[in-house]
This record gives sequence, C-alpha cells and structure tokens, in this order.
Amino acid sequence: MKKSIMALGSLLMLGATASAQKVAFEEYTLDNGLHVILHQDKSAPVIVTSVMYHVGAKDEAPDRTGFAHFFEHLLFEGTQNIKRGEWFKIVTANGGNNNANTTDDRTYYYEVFPSNNLELGLWMESERMMHPVINQIGVDTQNEVVKEEKRLRYDNQPYGAMLAQVKKNMFKVHPYRWTTIGDMAHLDAATLAEFQAFNKKFYIPNNAVLVVAGDLDVDQTKKWVKQYFGAIPKGTPVTRQKFEEAPITKQFTATYEDPNIQLPMVVTAYRTPAMSTKDARTLDMVSSLLSDGKSSRMYKKIVDEKKMALQIGAFNYSQEDYGVYFVYAIPMQPFTAEQVLKEADAEIVRLQTELISEKEFTKLQNQIENRYVNNNSRVEDVADNLATYYLLYGDVNLINTEIDIYRSITREDIREAAKKYLSTNQRLVLDYVPAKDKAQN
Amino acid sequence: MKKVIYLLAGLFLSTTAMHAQDRPMPKPGPSPTVNVGKPEAFTLKNGLKVIVVENHKLPRVTFNLSLDNAPYTEGDKKGVADMVSALMGSGTKKMSKNAFNEEVDYLGADIRFWDSGAAASGLSKYSGRILELMADGALNPVFTQEEFDKQKAQILEGLKSEEKDVKSVARRVTDVLTYGKNHPGGEFVSEATLNNVTLADVVQNYDTYFVPGKAYLVIVGDVKLKDVKKQVTKLFGAWEPGTAPTVAYSDPQDVQYTQVNFIDMPNAVQSEISVINVVNLKMTDKEYFATLLANQILGGGGEGRLFLNLREAHGWTYGAYSSIAGNKHVGAFTSSTSVRNAVTDSSVVEILNELKKMRADLVSAEDLKNAKAKYVGNFVMQIEKPATVARYALLTQTQSLPEDFYENYIKNINAVTPEDVKAAANKFFLADKSRIVIVGKAADVLPGLEKSKIPVNYFDKFGKPTEKPTVNKPVPAGVTAKTVLDGYIKAVGGEKALKAVKTIYTKSTGTVQGTPLELTTKVSVENKQLVEMKAMGMSMMKQVVNEKGGYMVQQGQKVELEGEDLAEMKASAVPFEELTLASKKDVKLSGIESINGTDAYAVKNGTTTFYYDVKTGYKIAEAHEAEGPDGKKATQTTYYSDYKDVKGIKVPHKVSMNVGIELDLTVVEAKINEGVTPADFQ
Repeated sequence: MKKSIMALGSLLMLGATASAQKVAFEEYTLDNGLHVILHQDKSAPVIVTSVMYHVGAKDEAPDRTGFAHFFEHLLFEGTQNIKRGEWFKIVTANGGNNNANTTDDRTYYYEVFPSNNLELGLWMESERMMHPVINQIGVDTQNEVVKEEKRLRYDNQPYGAMLAQVKKNMFKVHPYRWTTIGDMAHLDAATLAEFQAFNKKFYIPNNAVLVVAGDLDVDQTKKWVKQYFGAIPKGTPVTRQKFEEAPITKQFTATYEDPNIQLPMVVTAYRTPAMSTKDARTLDMVSSLLSDGKSSRMYKKIVDEKKMALQIGAFNYSQEDYGVYFVYAIPMQPFTAEQVLKEADAEIVRLQTELISEKEFTKLQNQIENRYVNNNSRVEDVADNLATYYLLYGDVNLINTEIDIYRSITREDIREAAKKYLSTNQRLVLDYVPAKDKAQN
Repeated sequence: MKKVIYLLAGLFLSTTAMHAQDRPMPKPGPSPTVNVGKPEAFTLKNGLKVIVVENHKLPRVTFNLSLDNAPYTEGDKKGVADMVSALMGSGTKKMSKNAFNEEVDYLGADIRFWDSGAAASGLSKYSGRILELMADGALNPVFTQEEFDKQKAQILEGLKSEEKDVKSVARRVTDVLTYGKNHPGGEFVSEATLNNVTLADVVQNYDTYFVPGKAYLVIVGDVKLKDVKKQVTKLFGAWEPGTAPTVAYSDPQDVQYTQVNFIDMPNAVQSEISVINVVNLKMTDKEYFATLLANQILGGGGEGRLFLNLREAHGWTYGAYSSIAGNKHVGAFTSSTSVRNAVTDSSVVEILNELKKMRADLVSAEDLKNAKAKYVGNFVMQIEKPATVARYALLTQTQSLPEDFYENYIKNINAVTPEDVKAAANKFFLADKSRIVIVGKAADVLPGLEKSKIPVNYFDKFGKPTEKPTVNKPVPAGVTAKTVLDGYIKAVGGEKALKAVKTIYTKSTGTVQGTPLELTTKVSVENKQLVEMKAMGMSMMKQVVNEKGGYMVQQGQKVELEGEDLAEMKASAVPFEELTLASKKDVKLSGIESINGTDAYAVKNGTTTFYYDVKTGYKIAEAHEAEGPDGKKATQTTYYSDYKDVKGIKVPHKVSMNVGIELDLTVVEAKINEGVTPADFQ
C-alpha cells in the first residue's frame, strides 16, 4: 500500500521541477555575411567547430541531382594549404574526429577536437570555405565512392528505396521529388566546370553559419574567427526559387518492387507543411501518439493486440519547405496490406473525431520533454541544433524555446491537424513489394 | 571520496603540411589536464555490484543492469535466450503488460529488457519510479503461452524478412564459418531451432541465467548516491542469490591456409567481404595497446590504410575498416568492406596486401604518432563524461583490469614502438591463415575471383558446404523440351502407368503463423479439379474447375472464372500435364536454372514454366506468371520435393508455395483412382 502511494506521489510531481537546461549562446555576423554562433560549455575538454551551408538537394538542377551530397565528399579532398589525402590525417594526428552530412535543405561539416585544437578546427573550416581544391582527380574518385555509397545504403538494402519512391510520388514540381544522393547518370555527365560553379554559388560565407561550441574562451575565439574567416570574400547572394505543389485531393497509388525483401510493406504518405510551422510540430506529436512506444495507439492495437503487422510506424518527415507524413507497415501473413491499412486508418479517423485523453496528452508532454533533454545532451548535438535553428528556422533561440511551442499545442490542435492533413483523399498509397525472383542467374 | 588524478595528455603534435605563407596550420595549445574520475560503488549481499556516477548537468538519469555471464550454446533449441529477451517486459507479477507499457510511455521513459540485462532512461524527476519499473520488469517477469506464441511468430516473420538481405546473411554466415556452428559465437537462430523452443525452456533459461552473481547495475545522472543506495537495496535486495553456469568451449580453429569462402546471393549489387581470423586478446595482455594501434593504422578510420587504399586511391567502396577488441572471451580480427561486384577480387588482393605490409614492415614514425594522437585525443575527450567514467569502472571489473588501468592509459599508448606494432600484427593479423568470407553475386564475382588464384570454397546462406554455383550453365547437346518431359514421365512411373491414372486425391497440412492449414486437391482426367484450403475447419479458399466452367470462393466471396484464366486452368486440371505437353508447339526448353541450389531444366508453356531436376528428372518447381490486381505481372512459384511412391507412381509429398511468404505443405494422404467422386467438382 505504501508503495503505491509513493508511486502516485512521483507521478504527481509532474511539472514541479524546473525542466531542463538553458543553452547559453552568443551570435554575430562578420562583414562578409558569415553568421557566427558561440556556445561555451566547460564540462569536458572538447570543442566542436562546424559550418552549415544553406545548400541541399533541393538547390540542384533537375538534370544535375546529387550535387550537394557530392560536395559533402568533394570538400574533404583538400584546399590550397591542405594537400589531397591530408584532411583526415590532420584531424587524427590532433586527436580529433570529423564528418559531414547532407539533406535536401542543407549540408553540415564538423570537427570535434580536444579543446587545445580549437584554432586548428577554425583554420580547417576556413580553408574549406576559402579555397577548396576542386579538380578532376577528386571528382573522379568521389564519383566512384558515391556510387558505392548508393549501392551500400539503398540498392543493397532491404526497403532501401522506400523514401525515394515516396518523394518521387509526393512531389511533382518541388525538388524534393529527387533523392539526396541523386542520379548517378547526372554525376557522370557533370563537368569539372559545373562543379566549380556550384561551389562558387553556394559555399560562400553569406550562405553559411559557423558554430563553435564547447570548452572555449569567448574573446580568443572571436579573434581567431575574425582572423581565419574575415578574409574570405562575400559571394553573390543566393536567390531561391519557390516551388508550390498543388494540393492532393484524391488518393492515388503506386507500386514498387524491391529485390532485397521477402515481406511486402504498405506505405501511406500525406503532404504536410514546412518544419517551422506549429502544425508540423503538432504532427510530430501525432506520430508519437500513434507509434512511439508500446502503448502507442497503432502499435498497441495492430502489432500487439491484433497481431496484424510485424512492424508499424508513423513519422513526420519535416523539411524546410514541406514535410511528408508517413505511415508504414509490414503485414503479418496471412493479413493483407488492405486489412492493415484499414486498421491504421481507423486510428487516424479516431484522432480526427475524438479528443485524446488528458492522460495521453500528459504522456506526450513527458515524451517531448525527455526528447528535448536528450537532444541537447552532447555538445556535438548542441552545435548541430544551433546551426539548424539559425539556418532553417531563422531563430537560434528556438534551442531554448521550441519546447514552449510544443507545450502550447492543445488536444484540439491535435485533432484539427489530423483532420486538416491526414485525410484519405490527400494521400499516396504505396505498395512496396518483393521483386519476383528472376531465374536465379 | 573522489579520487582524482591529474594527467598530462601530452604528445599532441602537429603534422607538417605545406603552408601558404599567410595561413599556416595552427599549432595546438597546451594540452588539457585530464581527471580520471572514480565512481561510487557498493555491493549487495546477493552479489549485485552497483556503480554510481552522480552528474547534475542534465535533469536525466540512466540505469543499466548487465549480467556478465559466460556465453553458452543452445544447440537445436537456439533461440531460447532470444525468446527470453522478446518476452521480458511484457508484464510482471504485479502489473499487466498494458499497465506497464502505459506507465513507461507516460513517464516519457525508455525501459528495455533482454536475457542478460535491462536498461532504463528518462527524466530524473521520475528517477525513483523508473527504477522501480525496471526492477519489477527484470525480477518479476511473467511468461505466458499467448505472448510466447506471438513473439515467436514475429521472430519467424523477422527471419523471413531478412532472407534476401545480403548484409544479414553475411553477418550470420561469417560468424558460423569463423566460430563454427557449435560455438556460442557461431550459433544462429533458424525457423527449425526456434520451433523446438517451448515456454518451459524460456522459464528455465530465465531462472538459470537471470541471477545476481555476476550482475552489475550502473547508474549515471542526476541522482543522489544516498537515495539510490537506499532504493537499490530495497528493490534488488530480495533478488535471490545465484550464479549462472560456465561451460568451457574449445576455441574455434583458423583455416590452415588463406582461402575464400563464397556464398552466392544473386540479388547482391555489392559484395560483402570479411577477411577474418580468430584472436585471443585480453585487455591485460602486454600486446594490447600495440594491437589497438596496429589496427588503427591498418583500418581504424578514414585515415587508415584500408580506407585510403580501397576508397581514396581506387574508389571501390564507401568504406573499408578493420576491427579487433580486447576481451576475456575469444573474438576475431576482421577487415571488412562492401564493394561493387566487379572489383571484388581486386579488393581482396589489396586487403591481403595491406595485412602483409603490416606484418612485414615497420610502421613509420609519423603513422604511429598519428595513431597514438587519435587514441589519446579520444580518451581526453571522453574521460570527463559521466557515462565514460561508469563504462570504464564496469570494464575494470568485468575484464579484471588493474585498478590503475585508465590512469596509465595515455602512458601505455605512448610507450608503444614500431617494433611492438609489427609484433602485434604478426601475432594477430594472420594474413596466411585468413578466412575470406564473400557474400555476393556469383555470376559477376566468380570469374575474377578464380583468376586471383586464391582457393575458393562454396557455402550456402547458413554456412553449409555446397557445390560451386552454376552460372549460366549451357544446355547439353541433344536435350530438348521433349526429352526433358519424357525424362520426367519415366522418372515418376512411366507413360503406361501415368495414363492409367484417372484421379488423384491429396490432403496436405501446414501452418502459417501458428495457424494450422489443410489443403485438399482432387483432379481428374476429365479436366476437373478442386482445390480447397481450410484453416481451423473453416474454408478459406476454394477453387473448382468442371465441365461447365469454374469458380473461386475466397473468404465467402464467389468469383466466376472466365476467359484465358479459365482456359489455362482447365488445361492444367489433369493428373499429369506432361503427357500432352510435349506435343504442344509452343512448349520450349529455355535453359538450365538453379532452383534452391538444384540445377533444373526450365520448360516454358505460355505463362507457366516447369522446372525438372537435371539429375533425377523430377519436377521440382512450377512458376506461373499472372497479372495481379494492380495490373503488374507477378510470378507465383510452387516447389515440389520428397517424391514418394503411391501405387507405383511417384508423388511429391512436400509442396511449398511462395505467396509473399513461404507456405510449406506436407502431404498426409495421397490416393490414386480413389477418394474422388463427380460431386466433388460441383
């Protein structure tokens, strides 16, 4: 008896403790337009230097897809002061590690060093921005490497083409219709001059943000930032074309055959608004409610109770211009895709017609708070978040205040978002099926 | 009681590079000082050791319970431990599964259980309740038959979903070949072994192995030692003492000479390559640090020789790495990569070259210096993190390290010489006794591989030795569709016997997801046929072809068969289609194909292809191509095996259909010229 009272007590504590940490930062802009964000955290002798460029797959020409990702590779090839093949060695020789990644919206490069190598990290990123060497040997090598990356991640991967198929079907005019890794034929066809022009257009200080986070001295850091980045000339400001998709008004279907799978998957996808909108966050909550955790609605009913699916998931894939809301399921035999879909749809209809319970609502709040704390737990993550909030959301302070947006979302908002975005007439149904065995060899 | 030792993280040396005059590469600042923190620790009477690292930077906490039991084999019941993992967390003696899951999610927490541990994390304001839930799930689990059946069905389905995944197959087969099927490192779960597992096995495994004798509970985060000590004692104090059994296994043997072990997967667009040998390397061995550095230089990352060679110089792969780890149990040294089919043989040659170079030559001072810098740098960056402090404390215990292991870490790394690295490479990188496991597409890969002169042995996807896969085998001269069909007729009983068959009746059984199925087929020479599938006594599907036409009833809905579908079905609604096939004009022999590893002649008749075993003449498969409801062409293949005598005629007693999943049927009753009446076809 005593125990259950104690348990109840801990539940009632909800909201009593001041939540999470505040991320302190300072931001300013250099004369050449480079935006700089500094975040001090002396809890470990670690320093992160990173640059996020506002260029991604959506900035590519339709006949030259894959360029932004290709640059993620190319810009490790060397600079005027770093010989080809030396980049990784310098990082390692100084006890650090580094990497880069690309999405449809932006490209991110970073190094993590013991804090006595802050100046080195700034120098390396400034070298990359100032005068990277883009030559034929680098292009030829990375062309092969990227093809291997594509085989590894997509072509040889069960369900590896799912996202590509959804994008292709969901976007008719927006560049989100192609994949980040791009079309290999486009990369083969591209000339060296085209790569150099792409670099000159997008990889410029006034299209980027520099983040320095970790065990740093603010004044010294500012001095070095000016010393290494100040001399880089401003580029021609990037102008972006706006692409508007016509609303989807009728359910449509598509089929894709994957040679790497044995069990079919069914996917539904709905187009949703930009990541910076409140609705996009509301839909995040919807996906938590539907498939995050064993007590989530779709998981509990379709996987656990009715045993109709091996796996089910819902997620809101938010991007700068649009998002895509997915529901995917692998039916358990003998159930069919249609049967599983019917159950999943019933859950969405329930969301559209009934308010979620207060208890479920509190659960969502707890999940979001937990996620918020974890998202900012490593200094590497804080650096990435600071850059993202600046570049894609236009407000660095969201790192501290975004949780308030989530907290402002009501049960009614959830119901309305489900109604507004998740109706059957607004979606794609993708049958993602095993390729029929070709004669073996 | 915090023991702090200050260390100088020395030896951060800059690399000399070409400098432009105005932008020289900066020199590092003074090295940061390093504190090797010591966590608090206490032990309960039942043996549970608890390690606590208080850290109040973030309002969160993690709990990690791990049982350091010795690995063991499960033989033909492999999968018991997997089932324990799958079942734990589905309810406790105090709470139903739903209430438990509901509360975990409500707290925004994450709690997981498996056969040798549990982990929980969440906001520290719920710390007390999270630990209570974890303790309850770990110590008072309930195992029910219902949940057992469900989880088993899911694991089976999961196994199926990986059948064509080149990487999954590569992982499994590499382990089997390296450690052997009867070693804990090589065993794998299959449908057959999982089917031998019972609920009682699961309960027994939990009772035997989920004991506190070698258990560690690691707590990191925003908690107070005093509070957790009290709580842990209360929650885990009553955990009944016990120690899991330890069984000794003889170490797996390396191959006598370097060889390729090839596994054919026709859908592969990349080859998965692992060059591997067995190692016994403990963290306390004198070669430990030299081995870490040797591995770092060879394949530790983007600056490793494998990466620079295979990716940066040749563009053959996205990445190439090597790995080795110190452990009290036997392990392996592996160099691995995924490369496009066409460069598989070249990649193998280059990996072996790099291994040989590590063994033959001293590494350069610069290479060694860089490798040391990476280890020291990572150590410096990690050591102040609370999770690292906890992890190191745990390793100190489980790997029996000296108390000052991490305090001397940097010193020991820096003491390694080029000679030490070479000696370590010679001891642990066995270039002349390496097993090179390649999972890839034989048709593309084998011709080149054979030219490399490395001996090649062939294995199936489960590590069993097999014949070399045939690639585009030519049809021998003189073989035609007619000779193949005649061969079949002869093999199953001869033309005379077959022509005397008026009707065939078979009853077969099988299961899908634990649901028993029963299939009845009746066919007569008058082009009449009945196929009916029942599940739990209920008719799921019924198909009838008779003199009037044909129809199909599926889940209560009746559909008339018409047009081409009906014509085709009627043509095949005879006991032995082969009797008339040979005389049909458009029947063609299309070649030899491999059907589940057996060479078979493919005979095409319109949209149907029949496959006849090249050796025995039996029909082993039949593929029917049809348009699916979505307008796409789809092929449904039926496989036949286990031919048995029924009144002098050989009838297949195992029939498998691939209808998205494998449906395996066993014939339990087969009758010729009896058991069929005209009424059956109404």
